[in-house]
Amino acid sequence: MTKYASDFTPQEMIVVAGSRTLEDNKVVFAGTGLPMVAITLAQLTHGPGIVPVFEAGSVGPTLSRGLPLSVGDSRTTYRSNYLQGLNSAFELTQRGFCDIGFIGGAEIDPYGNLNSTMMGDFPDGYQKPKVRLPGSGGASDMACSCERTIIIMVHEPRRFREKLSYITSPGYLDGSPNARWKAGLAGQGPYRVITTKAILGFDDETKRMKLIATLPGETVQSVQDATGFELIIPDDVYEFEPPTVEEIRLIREVIDPKGYFMKKKIKE
Amino acid sequence: MFWTGLSPDEARQFLANKDKSKRDKRMTLKEAVQKFVKDGDNVGIGGFVNGRQPIAIVHEIVRQGRKDLTLSFQSAGLAVEYLAGAMALDESKNSIRRLELAYWAHEAFGISPLFRYLAENGKIEIEDWSNYNMSARFKAGSMGLPFIPCRSPLGSDMLKKNRAKVIECPFTGRPIMLLPASHPNVALIHVQEADIYGNCRIQGPTYTCPEIAKASAYTIVTCDRLIEHDDMTRHPNRVTIPFFAVDAVVEVPFGSYPGNCNGVHYFDEKHIAFFRDACEKFRKGDPAALTNYYEKYIFGVSDFTEFIDQIPLADLYYIQKNEPSTTLDAAFTVLG
Repeated sequence: MTKYASDFTPQEMIVVAGSRTLEDNKVVFAGTGLPMVAITLAQLTHGPGIVPVFEAGSVGPTLSRGLPLSVGDSRTTYRSNYLQGLNSAFELTQRGFCDIGFIGGAEIDPYGNLNSTMMGDFPDGYQKPKVRLPGSGGASDMACSCERTIIIMVHEPRRFREKLSYITSPGYLDGSPNARWKAGLAGQGPYRVITTKAILGFDDETKRMKLIATLPGETVQSVQDATGFELIIPDDVYEFEPPTVEEIRLIREVIDPKGYFMKKKIKE
Repeated sequence: MFWTGLSPDEARQFLANKDKSKRDKRMTLKEAVQKFVKDGDNVGIGGFVNGRQPIAIVHEIVRQGRKDLTLSFQSAGLAVEYLAGAMALDESKNSIRRLELAYWAHEAFGISPLFRYLAENGKIEIEDWSNYNMSARFKAGSMGLPFIPCRSPLGSDMLKKNRAKVIECPFTGRPIMLLPASHPNVALIHVQEADIYGNCRIQGPTYTCPEIAKASAYTIVTCDRLIEHDDMTRHPNRVTIPFFAVDAVVEVPFGSYPGNCNGVHYFDEKHIAFFRDACEKFRKGDPAALTNYYEKYIFGVSDFTEFIDQIPLADLYYIQKNEPSTTLDAAFTVLG
């Protein structure tokens, strides 16, 4: 019988959910932070054939020399199968070699568009934003050109907004039919949004965000209450299986023992 | 349309008039910065976030003082944070006028306090791009093309405020994005190995360093070690930057410290956090820690060796020991 962990943090739950969402043998373009932890966990559990790609140029490394602190650091290059630079990684992605892009953002809207650039008034306040965020990095390239994307988010109302101050990484844009294709994009867009409270997807017709599963301790109502827009709630929403003792052990003892990505506080 | 740095035609003319000979390009970092970095320049920053960033070159620029710089890079951390810190402390000596960038922060070490400070106070002009965009813009420059097509990030708000154009592809009829080439006035690059002519052998990810070096009017290279030219040419397809794209070569061991240099050393996490904390205190209104940092480590020393001299040897051993990549992947003799 599977033993479930009785004590786990919101980050650990996100990482477990992210890991379980990844299929074995897929090429996964990994963003910085929690996505790297989730990919490593998937490799150590059900997905030894997952091929990580990092934007600084590394393809298919073995992540056994410690969790990378940067998507360009030496730990992303250990036993790499192919190692060039940024143009190479993004050209491979644009060509279609990357099945999944695994990214995070500061804010998300109902169509899976992400903001990681600025808070404030755009375009008028662009040169003097209320809060300046780090910027796109490679996230917008991954959101555009990986075949599908999985998005990791902290689930709070101020991060789930009907309208963003700035769209950095395109999801389904305005949700109109074939919006991505009409914009000239190659990839199909967001597949899942994994948060501290739920697993979400997108409605086939309207492309608006829908609830798929609630995480342990959450209800349909508590998830909706933490979302700044109305979610589509289908009849078949289910409760997500809690993290196992083994998954939590791998995260704490093997993948991130120093807690670089797991010990950061999530403000509730 | 406007160009920052050189226009494509100016960049071509510049190379036509340039001495491209294979000659000894060794000089001190002080000389290299005096000669090749001017007020108002568009500066191409090598490395990626805190990997193989040109820290020693930036320290020297800060010591000498340069104003009204445009900084062009895909993702940067420490190199631009050091320039921003100098600007924050004394804008009359060092200043950044404009950024063409995809990302400025420190990943696992946190966001950039001074990017927030500069942007939120309206002190710099910003042009946002994606990592692929900035890399492809340097690539277009390195190929002698005025623009390069790209699919991402079509649909993003970035396109509303940058110089990208969306056209209908003449062959497929679908929208496609065109990016203007980038030709900085000067590129700042740190590599593991170079020879006296400027041939560079980058180990690990090349990031966008070869493209930036080839696109720029001048390139300053620092290297962890100068090696014999014969050892360099024994593996010609491992030369990642050719000599005629380089103008100055300076041997600066630990030249990208406290960042990571593949095969040489990992991050000095303690020192990065120490410097970043001083920057964060400045953003929150207390400049003392940042002032002290610059006085002790940059203005209080005459060169980068004296900076490294203040780092405990045990810490340097630790980051060397902690580096997971192969130390040498091609045999060479260190130049005597």
